[in-house]
Amino acid sequence: MIRMRNVGKVYDGSADPAVTDLTLDVDEGDIVVLVGPSGCGKTTTLKMINRLIDPTSGSITVAGRDITEVSAPELRRGIGYVIQQIGLLPHRTIEQNIATVPALLGWDRKRTMARIDELFEVVDLDPSMRDRYPSELSGGQRQRVGVARALAADPPVMLMDEPFGAVDPIVRGKLQDEFLALQERLHKTIVMVTHDIDEAIKLGDRIAILNLGGILEQYDTPMRILEAPANDFVMDFLGPERGLKRLSLIPIRTAELAEGPVVGRDSTIDDARAVMARHGVDWIGIGTAGILEGWIDAADLGDGGGLPLGAMRPFRSRLSLDASLLDALDVVVSSRTSVAAVFDDDRYVGMLTAETIGREIIH
Amino acid sequence: MILAASSLIAQGSGPLIDWGWIGTHIDDMVEATLEHAVLTGVAVSVGFVVSMVLSLIAIRWRRTYTPITWVTGIFYTIPSLALFTFLVPIWGLSMTTAQVALVSYTLLILVRNIVAGVDGVSPDVLEASRGMGMTSRQAFMNVQLPLALPAIFAGVRIAAVTTIGLVTVTVLIGQGGYGVFILRGIRRAFLTEALVGTVLSVLMAVVVDAALVGIERRATPWARSRAAS
Repeated sequence: MIRMRNVGKVYDGSADPAVTDLTLDVDEGDIVVLVGPSGCGKTTTLKMINRLIDPTSGSITVAGRDITEVSAPELRRGIGYVIQQIGLLPHRTIEQNIATVPALLGWDRKRTMARIDELFEVVDLDPSMRDRYPSELSGGQRQRVGVARALAADPPVMLMDEPFGAVDPIVRGKLQDEFLALQERLHKTIVMVTHDIDEAIKLGDRIAILNLGGILEQYDTPMRILEAPANDFVMDFLGPERGLKRLSLIPIRTAELAEGPVVGRDSTIDDARAVMARHGVDWIGIGTAGILEGWIDAADLGDGGGLPLGAMRPFRSRLSLDASLLDALDVVVSSRTSVAAVFDDDRYVGMLTAETIGREIIH
Repeated sequence: MILAASSLIAQGSGPLIDWGWIGTHIDDMVEATLEHAVLTGVAVSVGFVVSMVLSLIAIRWRRTYTPITWVTGIFYTIPSLALFTFLVPIWGLSMTTAQVALVSYTLLILVRNIVAGVDGVSPDVLEASRGMGMTSRQAFMNVQLPLALPAIFAGVRIAAVTTIGLVTVTVLIGQGGYGVFILRGIRRAFLTEALVGTVLSVLMAVVVDAALVGIERRATPWARSRAAS
């Protein structure tokens, strides 16, 4: 969808190039994240795609057309653009902000208003915001408006420069999740800039790691970059927790789940002790196929007879199959039972232990 | 003139203000108000248009900004009496002379405020505008100029208030307005008439300033909502 061929940029009055001989293909429907330290030319690269910056060498095509074939304003109207501070027009209402590109394209009022209705639902904004001004919104709301505005004319390609940079970490995580869910439906071709490798790993279908001077060090899927960093620079940039970062990419769905030390509520204490001994644990899960009711500490079991169900405690963290192995590991290390119980909706499907999770890292 | 003024204040006989005179000269005051308003309105309007053109030039060709502020700065500092002396040989004791002088006093204030207002627009907002596909002209008209409105209004308010005061001087080159009362009051050592001219001039300045604040509020609703939030 986007092809960059030997693209270079040297700013006037600077001896060193900001971007050096960059060749990069972005496939249709992919999120490509440009990431690297400051001065690596990632923002310059992004802005060359919509001609806010003109390259000094090389060529760029979007959807098969060289970007210099049409005028810069015309090109930009066909490419969604979201910047760090969102850049909402402070003197225009939310509605007017979202209508910016449709207005430039000469849409009639009816079509624009219908599209705005639609976008408010797409990005989950309260319709009462329509006539507000940007200064009256929270950071998270502004960010949604920024995305809605970029989506207004339904461009196939979106460029995003640190789109989640201006909100606090909790809101950021939520917006990132929403953004991924949105992309699941919309299948835009997205090029995004961030300096945060974790954000790149979370959001990117592919990640381009850039070094100072806009040198492309590695361009691959997050998983392959984490498994096989191309060089020391990439290794350093990924940081010390490569194993954990990989776990964040693996959904529980793909891991092998264990039945776990679980007995029915009618079992005897002797049965329970036998199961505990087999699993080498000091607690016993209570449940049957597809149901996990809770667990009882070995110390509360007593001697002989039926299980003391009054001493049963619930599993506090119930993970879904879509959660990551990193989420599971977090539950394992922070729970008394040292396991993560996994549920498909309400149906119990199995457990993960530190051991089974560790096996996935080695894979 | 100063001598005349002091003799006017020293005048001891009769009440300080002759209310009877005021009562019989209401028509004169209305007429003077109209004349004063027209002189001010024309000067500020023409000054605004000229300043806008100069500002556009300064914004488009940055290097012209300094020379433009020099020239308008010189106009601003020339004493009004001296300026009339230069201009009367060209246009006589006319409205044109008055307007050339009045307009030239508004230019520095207006140009500075317009350019500062446009320059003050956040680069993020400007880049987003261009990134969405506005031409530089569209970005100027739809984004930079509206966002410069508070600074522009500030300039217009100063220019209007200054001009209202200056218009009283144009009586010296045969123009109407409140200056007529002031000059005649001083010449005849009649305190009431001079005071009427002065007070009306101040009143007009206050009213016009308040009106401009009102218009600015309506024209920049986003600034109001920010203050409220």
